[in-house]
Amino acid sequence: MSVISFEVIYRGIFQKSLAVKISRTLILAAVKEGKPGISFGRYSDSPERNGIPAKQFGYIADNEEELETVAAQYEPKQVDISICVDDTLCKGVESWAWYGLQPINAVTKPGGTLIVTSNQKEDELVQHIHRRDTPYKLAIIPGEASFAGLWVYKDDGTDARCLAAALKAEPTMCSIASLESAIRENIGSETHIEAAREVYEDLRPVEIEPGQGNDEVPFTFELLKWHEMRQGVVIDGVGGHEGFRGGEGGYEPGRNPYFKKWSTRTMRPVVSFDKCTKCTLCWVACPDTCFDVTPDGFFDANMEACCGCGVCEAICPVKDCITMVNEVVFEERDSQWQMWQENKEDYDKYMDEKISVGKIEGRHPITGLGQAFSGIGIEMGHNPETAQVKSLQDLK
Amino acid sequence: MAETSEYNIGTQELPLMGKVNAIPEKAVEEYFTSGHRTCQGCESALIMRLMAKAAGPRSIILGSTGCMYVANTTYYSTPWVVPWMHTQLGSSGSAATGTAAALRALMRKGKMKEEPINVIAFCGDGGGIDMGVSSISAALMHAKYNLAIICYDNESYANTDIQISGASPWGANTTFTPPGKKFRIMHDCWKKNIAAMYAVGHTRCNYVATADASYPADLIDKVRKALAVKGPAFVHTLDPCPKGWDYDPFYSHKLGELAVETGLFPLWEMTDGALTYTGISARQVYGKRGRKPVREYLETQGRFHHFEEEDYEYFQSEVDKMWDDWMVPGVIPFKVNNPSKK
Repeated sequence: MSVISFEVIYRGIFQKSLAVKISRTLILAAVKEGKPGISFGRYSDSPERNGIPAKQFGYIADNEEELETVAAQYEPKQVDISICVDDTLCKGVESWAWYGLQPINAVTKPGGTLIVTSNQKEDELVQHIHRRDTPYKLAIIPGEASFAGLWVYKDDGTDARCLAAALKAEPTMCSIASLESAIRENIGSETHIEAAREVYEDLRPVEIEPGQGNDEVPFTFELLKWHEMRQGVVIDGVGGHEGFRGGEGGYEPGRNPYFKKWSTRTMRPVVSFDKCTKCTLCWVACPDTCFDVTPDGFFDANMEACCGCGVCEAICPVKDCITMVNEVVFEERDSQWQMWQENKEDYDKYMDEKISVGKIEGRHPITGLGQAFSGIGIEMGHNPETAQVKSLQDLK
Repeated sequence: MAETSEYNIGTQELPLMGKVNAIPEKAVEEYFTSGHRTCQGCESALIMRLMAKAAGPRSIILGSTGCMYVANTTYYSTPWVVPWMHTQLGSSGSAATGTAAALRALMRKGKMKEEPINVIAFCGDGGGIDMGVSSISAALMHAKYNLAIICYDNESYANTDIQISGASPWGANTTFTPPGKKFRIMHDCWKKNIAAMYAVGHTRCNYVATADASYPADLIDKVRKALAVKGPAFVHTLDPCPKGWDYDPFYSHKLGELAVETGLFPLWEMTDGALTYTGISARQVYGKRGRKPVREYLETQGRFHHFEEEDYEYFQSEVDKMWDDWMVPGVIPFKVNNPSKK
């Protein structure tokens, strides 16, 4: 039996059209060669939430019987190819239907390929990816994550490039000619095909050995069994607010002990406490109650709760006081206020360094999340009917 | 007046905020905290947070089906600090009436300590503007029950994948109304004027207001007034939704401001039959401040991206009518035909 399975791991809603396009087109390319396949979204990811990790799956089989056998499963337990269209997800996938932090490579088969769109190099990216006992391959498509959008699909070529990378990882899926023809029919221009060819030629997957990568143990918790639940499915409310970080003074709300936003964000706020005027707006406007009140009346973003929307930066009236910085440049989740208290000079250096590397710039409401989501370099119109790739040169 | 059961132990005294920077001092405590699964930049979650903050610890919150039920309390975990219960999509009104009536009966019979307890039922636009209209209408009839109903309106059934609702604005792209090749505009209804409908239709309901999380002190004060008033009250909030409106969540707060600044969503409150415009809307109605072109608001959202020049013009003309032609600008859309009394 030779069924090829794949998953597309993406940020809910704003990368949904992109993920569906990748998954569907890959199936349609295989169908051209008489191989039946199916593309579907993960049941537990629906209803999808903006920015919350979600998955699309696909199977390509040799015949109908094979397909029926695998498609009867709820979702694949293991896949040959994992395609990740946002490198901040390499820190772990916190799905909407929460069951802990799932490593990005959790269902990639031993020897399978993990494809990531990223500006990082393999050795940098692997620092974020949880280590495992079996080897796999890591392949990077150079470029930023794509803010593809929902109603308005901003096609920046990520779709075609991911498809080519997937074919390179599993060349038995179909021929390059069938893939090109499927791209032409379902995605569009010749520029996409050129972009796909380029990735197909240039992609160099790297072997990741067992034990290589992030040694953090992913966050897990035990869910109650149905017979352990109380009558009426009653559960305890959140309780026990305390002073800042358990100390005297300040205010830290109690938080849901199970659901932590360890990797839900694509960026995080970096606060310059020297510039802060304690106007309270960031604290008031945060939908995730992420800011803790410090004993001296500052507001410290708690990385247990921040989901990286950027509203605090948008609302802050002081120039350069709150700056949203790409999540890929952080390893730690420490309290920024405590770092600042311990050594102000060191904190300023830390802050300047992070901002200079990862500041999110050039925002526009529909065209995307600024730099972090500026796509992989080619600009197209918003209307898919009139969308034009500016220049293939920009791809490089 | 004939004797009826007048038992009413009254409501809580909740101080008003006045200014946004008074909030940490007067209401630092959180009763809806982190650990929910809403979208990045979800303004409805912010409504929940500010609403719970306004209500305080002695409150019971009831939530009808919608994002704020599904995204907040799945898989045996919750961000709620105060007691919260789920109710059906159309029954926020009945759940509120039932809870308030039960508390009243238990206290009247001496089975529970006499104490004012806030009862809040929230519903989305599907629950409060489409399906729940009859139950909310019934709840607003009963002056003896102290309760508040808060409708968090993100202008579509965003929880189930962005289907059209009675609150969806004209022309918006939803999963039920994708712009087509033959017809660009597939949603040709104007948004239901729900707060005014509840206010005008329920003459014994003493408090109805519109609010927006982009003006948090105003929102908290309106929730507090809704809870302080004896009898039922209704608050309608407009919540920018990065999921259904298709924009970068960074702009959530900005879009909430623009909805008011363009005159599309006027802020007002009706107390004991007297209407007061609040914030920017008050300055707009007295001509001290102009309205921004509605295009600024529409252009920043993917759901209106198929709009052409004539669509922007039509939308603007409808907003202009709200302010220039309506009997009560932005609230009540009548013109009186009879000649005025001599």
